[in-house]
Amino acid sequence: MMRPIGSIAFVAMLLALVFVPWLAPPALIQFGTTTLLLATLAQSWNIIGGYAGYASFGNSVFYGIGGYGTAIAMVQFGQPFGVGILVGAVLGVIFALLLGLPVLRLRGHYFAIATLALAEAMTGVVSNLDIAGRNIGLVLPLRKGDAFFYELSLGLLALATLTVFWISRSRFGFGLIAIREDEDAAGVMGVNTTLYKALAFLLAGFFSALAGGIHAYWITFIDPVSAFDITLNVMMIIMAIFGGAGTIFGPLVGAILLASISELLATEITGMASLFFGLVIVVAVVFMPRGLTDLTRRFPGLGWRYFRENLRLHRL
Amino acid sequence: MSLLLQIVVNGILLGGLYALMALGLALVWGVLNIVNLAHGAFIMLGAYTSYYFFTLLHVDPFAALPLCMLTVFAFGFVLQRYVLNLIVRAPMFNTLLITFGVDVVLTYLAQIVFSADFRVVNPSYAGANFTLLGATIPLVRALAFAMAVALTLTVWLILGHTRLGRAVRACAQNLVAARLYGVEPRTVYALTFGMGAALAGAAGGLYGVVSQINPYIGDPLTAKSFAISIIGGLENPLGVVVGGLFLGILESLTSLYIGSTYTDVASFGVLVLVLITRPRGLLGKTT
Repeated sequence: MMRPIGSIAFVAMLLALVFVPWLAPPALIQFGTTTLLLATLAQSWNIIGGYAGYASFGNSVFYGIGGYGTAIAMVQFGQPFGVGILVGAVLGVIFALLLGLPVLRLRGHYFAIATLALAEAMTGVVSNLDIAGRNIGLVLPLRKGDAFFYELSLGLLALATLTVFWISRSRFGFGLIAIREDEDAAGVMGVNTTLYKALAFLLAGFFSALAGGIHAYWITFIDPVSAFDITLNVMMIIMAIFGGAGTIFGPLVGAILLASISELLATEITGMASLFFGLVIVVAVVFMPRGLTDLTRRFPGLGWRYFRENLRLHRL
Repeated sequence: MSLLLQIVVNGILLGGLYALMALGLALVWGVLNIVNLAHGAFIMLGAYTSYYFFTLLHVDPFAALPLCMLTVFAFGFVLQRYVLNLIVRAPMFNTLLITFGVDVVLTYLAQIVFSADFRVVNPSYAGANFTLLGATIPLVRALAFAMAVALTLTVWLILGHTRLGRAVRACAQNLVAARLYGVEPRTVYALTFGMGAALAGAAGGLYGVVSQINPYIGDPLTAKSFAISIIGGLENPLGVVVGGLFLGILESLTSLYIGSTYTDVASFGVLVLVLITRPRGLLGKTT
């Protein structure tokens, strides 16, 4: 539920971010593009993972498919980027439907593992396809100017966030939340669970595929291992949960904060950045399991008791 | 024909080790409901323990197995007792995430401490092999297979026939009832996680003998252990053996008849099929 202050802050932040390319040094624009794409991925994971409660480890499949769709259309068929990214998005949606229908019948850990397995299998399949350049990958045509990709990513993130905003106050969104809380009860109450889950998966696939397409064209190269990287999928989950899964702004805040922390660490203490990242995850899960959004809402009232109560709730 | 036989034998030998790898993961998953994404990192720790005992102290890798198990057991016990017990009742995401965090920390600590170089545990009998029914069997692989089967059976016996095993199974079935009957879950959970870690340590010690080790071997091994646990099912330790052998043979056959780049496609494709058609594993009940 977006309060007026929230929407004003969102619009203000969006406007401020639009002007970054005119003011910031190139390195910051590149960092910004990466962060915006990560935030888009976290937001798209939020639809299936945060609202519907399905821990998808397969969103990186759609990211990879979006990237490959774009690359194949541009390299093998000589199409412009606009057509390429459309092909990528359509492929992402088709795969979300084809994979979603069988896999969404599974619940809990089983769903998580099945999607993880799909991502592993996709790496193998794509690295054997001639049209996708096998395991060497494809080189896309170069387009100069980081600002273009920055604005594109920003637009995509705004679109994804607006979609989540719509979800959070629509019948569809309440249906997803009902599924997350108790799927059988939701079904009994008349929620078409299969349709709702498939739609959520499809939306997540659509935005992830677009992000993959932008990324592939931006770095002008795509190969199977980096396109279907599981680490990327884990990253988007961590960002969404760190900020607050199932909220509108949580995934954005989580993505921006964590990306900034790891970027700062990477410049300060190169080798230790990942180590610190791992420790942050462990500490965050123990002390603020419902993310930053929950922390900012309840910490002022509860003070340090907030952490004690989280511990008491989840410890053995 | 003899080629097929050789391939199947290779698959079985590989599968025994796979089963041992997956057993620890399946045990922790089944009892604690934690999918330990750091399982592969534990295997990696076991492999390095074996490597350092072998290169620095010249301990035979098979004799060093108990030491590998003890080292990783101690680590797993402390981790569960003082960290994971704090979040064990949290939603599934959180347990997945925290073990992922542990995995990242362990991998990068290993990279700093052990360096990213490839290491091999190379005892004097590494090249020896013998022939059985027309198939050539490398000695170390046969020994590793035998150890893996022995350890799996030991775990099966411990779970079925000891006081600790009954306590573990009681916690898995009904935590509240187990507590009422005087089981102290904090310790039992820590012991179970430690046992899972010890099995990973043993698998690592054996892995070091049959393959190369580096700090990054963990993640693919975690994924394999997952696949095997699902294919075999979590309810029965023997299911993991079936899953391990199945995957080992499947991978060997795929790399012979279809191509070695397709082994992951085949194994994870089968995993998805099993999940959809028999979600409780090949040996599980069909309902």
